[in-house]
Order: sequence, then C-alpha cells, then structure tokens
Amino acid sequence: MTRLVLRRLVAALPLLWLVATLTFALIHAAPGSYEDQLDHPRLTPEARQLVRERYGLDLPLHRQYLRWLGSLARGDLGVSFLYRRPVAEVLWEALPATLLLSGTALVLDLALGLVLAVGSVRRPHGWLDRLITVLALGVYGMPTFWLAGLAILVFSLLLGWLPASHMHAVAAGQLSGPGRFLDLLLHLGLPAACLGVVGAAATARYLRATLIEVRGALFLRAARARGLSERRLLWVHALRPALLPVVTVLGLSLPVLVSGSVVVEVIFSWPGMGRVLWTAANARDIPVTLATTLLGAAAVVLGNLAADLLYAVVDPRAREAP
Amino acid sequence: MRKPLIVTLLALLLVPACRNRTADHAPPPAATAPRHGGIVVIGVLADIDNWNPYLSETGFGEDLLALLYPSLVTELPDYQEHPPTFAPSLAESWTWSDDHLTLTFQLRRDAVWSDGAPVTSRDVLFTWQAQTSPEVAWTSSYVKDFIEEVEAADPYTVRFRFSRQYPYQMMDANDGLIVPAHTWGEIPYSQWQTTAWEEKTLSAGPFRFSSYSPQQEIVLDANPGYWHEGRPLLDRVVWRIIPSQFSLVTQLRTASVDFVTSVPAAAAAGLADNPQLRLVDFEDRAYTFLAWNNRSPLFADARVRRAMTLAIDRQAILDTVRPGFGRVAVGPVLSTMWAFNRRLEPLPHDPEQARSLLAEAGWKDRDGDGLLDRDGARFEFELVTNSENQELRDVTVLVHDQLERLGITVQPRSTEVAALVALRSRGTFDALAGTWREPTQVDLEEVWHSAPVDEPTANFIGYSDPEVDRLLREASAQAEFEQQKVLLDRIQEIIVEQQPYTFLYELRRTAAINRRISGAVINDATPYYNLDEWYVIEGQQAPQ
Repeated sequence: MTRLVLRRLVAALPLLWLVATLTFALIHAAPGSYEDQLDHPRLTPEARQLVRERYGLDLPLHRQYLRWLGSLARGDLGVSFLYRRPVAEVLWEALPATLLLSGTALVLDLALGLVLAVGSVRRPHGWLDRLITVLALGVYGMPTFWLAGLAILVFSLLLGWLPASHMHAVAAGQLSGPGRFLDLLLHLGLPAACLGVVGAAATARYLRATLIEVRGALFLRAARARGLSERRLLWVHALRPALLPVVTVLGLSLPVLVSGSVVVEVIFSWPGMGRVLWTAANARDIPVTLATTLLGAAAVVLGNLAADLLYAVVDPRAREAP
Repeated sequence: MRKPLIVTLLALLLVPACRNRTADHAPPPAATAPRHGGIVVIGVLADIDNWNPYLSETGFGEDLLALLYPSLVTELPDYQEHPPTFAPSLAESWTWSDDHLTLTFQLRRDAVWSDGAPVTSRDVLFTWQAQTSPEVAWTSSYVKDFIEEVEAADPYTVRFRFSRQYPYQMMDANDGLIVPAHTWGEIPYSQWQTTAWEEKTLSAGPFRFSSYSPQQEIVLDANPGYWHEGRPLLDRVVWRIIPSQFSLVTQLRTASVDFVTSVPAAAAAGLADNPQLRLVDFEDRAYTFLAWNNRSPLFADARVRRAMTLAIDRQAILDTVRPGFGRVAVGPVLSTMWAFNRRLEPLPHDPEQARSLLAEAGWKDRDGDGLLDRDGARFEFELVTNSENQELRDVTVLVHDQLERLGITVQPRSTEVAALVALRSRGTFDALAGTWREPTQVDLEEVWHSAPVDEPTANFIGYSDPEVDRLLREASAQAEFEQQKVLLDRIQEIIVEQQPYTFLYELRRTAAINRRISGAVINDATPYYNLDEWYVIEGQQAPQ
C-alpha cells in the first residue's frame, strides 16, 4: 500500500510540472498584463519600467519561467502583485473558509444524495422515484449562478431567513461563542445549500443507478433467500458495493474542496479560494493565479489517489490490483 | 483635490470619487436630533487595493483613506461655476509671494495623529518627498512636476516653491494626503511595496482604523481626538465588500447594507418604491463615448466621424440604457463644468445628412445590396468594449442596430479589461466604447494632444490636429484661468467639429441610503462627503 502511494506520488510530479508549465504559458498568452492594469495615461515610461522590474516582468519569458519554477521548487510561491504579500499567506488565509464551505456542501451532497437515492430505489419507476428524478435532473441542470440568485431572492429577500453574503454579521464580534457559531451557520446556509444541492442531485442519480443494478445481483438474491429483511439488505449488503461510483465522485470533489467554487464564493462574498482566484485572474495577478491553479491540479492528483485508496477499502478486489 | 483621469472602461461599477455641487435637497426623514452612537454599513463592490495612499490605485482607496489622512486644504465642490476654490483644513491660512511662485501654508497647532504626535510641517515635507520619489512611483506624481521645492520653515510653516505660475498651483500643492513622517519615515521606500500598510495606519482624520479582513470588510471607528470638527457622531462605519451587483442591491433591500454610492440605473427604479430607502440622484462627472481610431483608414476622414455621430440617435440610446440618468453629451468638456463652451450644442440626430457626408467621403451603396462600399470594400468594423460593463455592451449593440440602417456593419465585441487596455495602448482596434471620468481640473491635453510616441498619453485614438496642439500648449502656459478659458473654448469648437469621438452622453448617478440614517449630504465630491455628521435616528436598529 505504501509503495502504491509513493509510486503514484512520484508519477504525479511530471503531471504537476506539465500543468504548471501550461498554466504559465496560457496566462502569458492571454492579452493584457499586470502593468496594463495600471491604467494611468500619465504613468511615465520610467515608472512603468520600475513596475515591470519590481515584478520581474522585464525579463524574457523563459527567464521568468525558470525563475518561477526555481522558486516553486524551493516551495516559494512568490509575492502577489495585487496584495503585495507572499502568495502562500494569501492562500493560507482563504483556505479555511473554502474548506468549511465545500466541506459542509460535500456532507450535504452525500447525505441528501443518499437519502434521495434510497427513496428512489424503494420502488424504481414508482411516483416517488419519478418525482425525485425530475427534481434531481432539474436542479442539476440549473446554472449555479442562477440557483444562487434564486436562493437569495427567496430566502433572503422574500422570507428574510438567511443572510445573503459574508461569513459573519456586522456585529458578530460582540456575540458570545455559541451566538457566533449560530451566526456562522446562518451565513453558511445559502452558499452551502447551493453547492450541496446540485452535488446531491448528481450523487442521487449515480447511486440510484448502481443500487438498482446491485439489487438484481446474485449475492443479494441469495441473501434475500436466507430471509434477511429488506432494510438490512439495503443498508448492509447493497449499499457498500453501490458506493463505488460515489467514491470516484468523492475523489473528484477534492479539487473543489480546496480550490473552492468561484461562482458561489463571488455571489455570496465568501472569502475563500475561489474568490481569490477570481480577483487574481481579473487583475492579472500572475503568482496568485498560478499558485491557485497548481493547487487545484495537486488536489486533482491527490483526490484521484484518495479515491483509489478508498476503493481498496470499499472493494476488496481492488486491493489486489497493481 | 483632483483625481487623475481614470478610464472607467473598467466598469462604472468600481466607481471612484467625483465632486460637484450638493445635489441632495431631500429633507431628512422624521428625524430625531443629531446624536452620538450607532453603526453604518456601506456596501462596496471591490476591496481597497492598498492602505498607503501612494500605492492605492483606486477611487475607493482614495475616498476611504481621506477619512484617515488629512489634506492641507479642502477643495470645495464649486467647480461648476468657476475653477475650484479651497477652504482651510490642516492649513489654517496661506499666502502667496508677489511673483506667485511661493505658497506659504500656516498649519493648525492642534492637529494630532491618533498616537498623540502632532501633525507638523515635517509630515508635509515627508509626504512631498514620498510623492516625488521614483522608488515609490506614485502614479499621480506628475502633478508635482512644477513644484521645485518644499521647505519646512518651522514646525507649523511650510513653503512650496513653484518653477512657473499657472492656474492649478494650489490644486497641485494640495494633491495627495498627508502621511505621518514619524512612523512611515522609518520604512525605506524600497520596502513600501511589500509593507502591510493596514498595520501601519495612523489617523489624523475623523475616523481611525479598527479592523480589516481582506475581501470581506473594513471597519473604521470614530476618532475621539479629531482636531478639526470634533468626534464624528457615528461610533463605527463598516464597509462590506460585496462583489456581485445583484447581491449588493438585494442587501440594500433587506437593510443589511445602509448605503451604496452608485446603484445601477436598471435597479434604481425598483429601489425607488422601497419606503426604507432614500435615493439621491446627482451629476456624475463622466461621459460615455465611442472612440474612432483616427489612424484607421475608415475613420481618418473627419466627415466619416461626423456622419457616425449624426447617424447615431444618442437620446434613444440614453433612454434605453439609462432612462433619466444622463443627457446627450456635446464635446470634450462636460456641460456642467465652468470651462464648458456654452455656445456649443450637441450635434443633431440626422441620418440624411450622415448619408450625404458618407457619400462625399466615397461611401455609397454601389452594388445595391443595401451595404455601403468604397473601392470594392464594405463599410464594416469592430466596436470593442469592456465585457464587465453591461451598459457599454448594450450601447455597442444599439449602435450596431442604428448604423445597420445606413448600410454599415458593426461587429460588437466585448473583452475583459486587461485585454482591452492592451488593445488600446497598441492602437489595434477600429472603434471602442468607453467612459471617461473627469477630474475637477480641466486638462484637455491628456486626451487630445498628439503626444510623441514615447510620451505617456490618453490619446489612444491617435487624434492629431496641429491647431489643437498649438492651442493646448498655449492654454497650459497661461497664468490665469480667464486667459485659459478663451483658448479652451476654441479647442472645444474644433474638436466638436472634427468628432474624433462620438460624445454619447454625460452620466448622472444614484446613491441609495437607508432612512434610518440622517444628516447625510450626498454629492459627487466624495461618497463620504460629511460622514462625520451622519447619525442614526433614535430607536433604529443596526443592520444584521
């Protein structure tokens, strides 16, 4: 197992390098640059040159690339053009907010997905299944920004139940510990629900399909023949093999968990990684954009690895595989 | 104070400060007497970019920092009638030498920083050194070009020596906020770029720094030791950064936010019905234009450019994209400015005249396909704008429709700001829709002088007219406003005649404020014009 992990990690290095290089190339190929952003007609050529030197933008592209790669190898992500602080610091501050939001959304995704799928397969093609299918496909088909807007209109504006932005209320500093926690939960409500519900719709569809497949399997028929209750059959015997595709989906969720959802974080003013990436990309803040993308790539690699390892836990056959 | 000319191609969303006469005549709602206490929450779309006024590039940064750092004098919002005049602030009085080359300020003796240190001439001198230091590279350092020397004669006397006499000497001396020498002076300029300035804030203004979470919120508290007019009435002001326009408007409605300096024209009508909100409508100091690339063979001919303006129904565009929030523009000087040539009228909407001008320039429908052609080529071009600005994108589509009727094919294209700026600086575009936000200083040279290639310029369309060049240089050499005005009038006539831009419309703006706040005077001087006099009506809750 350890060898598997190590082998996969080593194999991931060239992949990460490739992603880093591609991102670097793309970001420089995009029209406009950071100093273009300093949109001052009277900015003298000298001042402009100073800005270029300050950020290393005066060097030829290959030297910029080597310099960046060298720092990266030393674990130095550089200094943000926009925030004028080390990139690592900027990302480190944004990470907890994203983890909280995406983590909550993921839990909601799995829990709700599971409940919906189980509800569906009680009587496949029955009225409940059809209702859940329509709802799930409907929600899954909604663009997140639209769903978020709708959620704000209904739950903030019309009903006034939940706040529409930020992690805390203005006066949260004066609240007691539990009060602060409750305040955080309220603020978490809408963004987490928007992310979680869409995820749950997908999870429910995957899980429904595999559950139906597994229920027809011979081992379940044998178990049923032994007189096990339907409940026990479902929760103990059918669910575990049916979870396999969910594990894959879960592994693929890790990148979102770390890099955040740009759309939801921007709409709800959530101070996470997606928000940082959005701001940085708009401002041509190259170091932050590169670092966020690279982090996302690393999360994809690690997510896949984690999914493989989880597979081994859920499916004993996978442990033997090379 | 004066802002550098800022292209708000970047979206009117990130609206910087402006100034003009007080437009807020609405009586306060059933108000209680002014009283101390309370919190006001202000919604903004973008965060402050830097807490050092000499590194901050945004209007919001400047407006916010002006609540912490003082100015020598206060520019009065009276630029519509005459060139701006000034009121005492940190300087209680000033005198000019006979040759008008030396300006001496007497500073107040009771002004103090929030750490107790007095604000002295040393701070003023240090500020000037920082403003002009190439290492700091302040983007507005050019306003100090004609100041040869600043001298701290004694702790409360400062002398500015100018290299020549010109109308805007006072404005140039005053430009830029005074920063503390005794703490900031210890930080070498080479480290300024990487210093966390939010940790170095000191205040000698009405408010002082309380807390800051990047991209989330900024909290300023009343400065109890404010020397100028005493402690502000409010205890605290919170700026919440809400990057989505939709969210911002929703939070005004839910009273999570008390004040927004600029609500989109499309949302204003809906907000007007909300009894909790007071909408204040005022002149914005900005105009929207179509810039014709004068270097392009299509638009090198002034007859063609004039035809474009005549063919475009500007009032119809205005009525569509911002009904009731603007007026058709005339020329390069806003019609609300003292320097505007009042003999000029907007060109009419006259498609027939446009057609004949185009025919004169060789553009006719020769093959009967309904499209204009010349030398076998059709009249078609790309009209680019900022993809983040919905209003400008709508404008490009409307222009497309209107010119189509004349047989001209317009391809509207929108692109993100960085790419747009690159297009502009390289001059590789046909036509561009944008908005200029104007300073209170009338400086036409920046946009209309045919500057040499290596000189920084906002003349990105390559407009070049020897007569205008000569008049511009002559105007900037004048010592008095009256002499300058005559030349400015003539320049406006020539530019309106030649239509290097189609001047579409001048903007009006709407701010929204919750009625639980009283005492607010809202105008385009700065969104926080008299924030120290705002107060919360008794019994009104703070937003959640």
